[in-house]
Amino acid sequence: MKFAIALFSAAHAPSSRRALLFAQAALAGGHEIVRLFFYQDGVYNASGSVVTPQDEQDLPKQWRAFVAEHQLDGVVCIAAALRRGVLNEEEAKRYQREAVAVGAPWELSGLGQLHDAVQDADRLICFGGA
Amino acid sequence: MSTLHVLSHSPFGDDRLTSCLRVIGADDALLLSGDAAYALQPGTAPFNALSIRGLKLFVLVEDAQARALPVPDWAQAIDYPSFVELSIHYDKVNSWL
Amino acid sequence: MPKSLLMISRQAPWSGPNAREALDIVLAGGAFDLPIGLLFLDDGVFQLASKQDAKVLQQKDLSANLQALPMFGVEELFVCADSAAERGLDPTALSLEEVRALTAKEITALIDRYDQVITL
Repeated sequence: MKFAIALFSAAHAPSSRRALLFAQAALAGGHEIVRLFFYQDGVYNASGSVVTPQDEQDLPKQWRAFVAEHQLDGVVCIAAALRRGVLNEEEAKRYQREAVAVGAPWELSGLGQLHDAVQDADRLICFGGA
Repeated sequence: MSTLHVLSHSPFGDDRLTSCLRVIGADDALLLSGDAAYALQPGTAPFNALSIRGLKLFVLVEDAQARALPVPDWAQAIDYPSFVELSIHYDKVNSWL
Repeated sequence: MPKSLLMISRQAPWSGPNAREALDIVLAGGAFDLPIGLLFLDDGVFQLASKQDAKVLQQKDLSANLQALPMFGVEELFVCADSAAERGLDPTALSLEEVRALTAKEITALIDRYDQVITL
């Protein structure tokens, strides 16, 4: 089965961890993840600026490792990212902002990528809220 | 068509469970995740509402365990591989974000 | 046949970015000519209350975007009759004329009809 997984909550939200565990279980079960799409506060999971206390789960780091290891398509909604200050180098230059918070393997793109994933996948699973 | 509804908010002081129960269909199922597991707290209104509803009810085992919530025999505690299987068994997943 | 998507928007217009970001998903889908439906449920019905003034809160006025929905090819617009009634709104006097009031049973059937759902 092909899954599209969308994440709407920040790294410290329990639903973000659940999304990662679901994604891992999906691959372990022999399924495919056509795209991970981070929207709303989900964009914070792609931020390289997040500093997680030593005794807590470092979700951004775990997500990055997961995407890199399995060469997944990790897309961050550009509009949601901009308004939350999660900029890549290109956008930081464009808007003359100091901090570059996101880079590879994450790609900033539009909501069209979410719709594209929904069309391609057999299942759309959203995580977020609490 | 059948839907797996997923809740993750505490049912106390939040209307997602109530709204979900209004629209959930006869062939649908409900997965309690995160704080939504508190709906299994015995002797509470959410617990009673679910117990008489006769729904296909699931709870993430880690969430019931972490909160020391007993899982009644009308609910099934599942792990992530089972969550994945459920999401395939039902035609779509509706997470109440 | 493209897969259809139902967006269930259940938050009030200015409770953070949820109403707007839900609408953005709908508009993007419409722009790509995808079959998108939009249901206003729970506090989401407040997005359709008339005579709202977003400017006073220095917020974006969503109603212009809502009115634009049919132009984006999004014509499947619904409101939960119970949610509206509970919140003192007359489902026949909402800011979006094209919206259809549905009972709970009809909403169950509506969710069933769509290939995918996002509830925000």
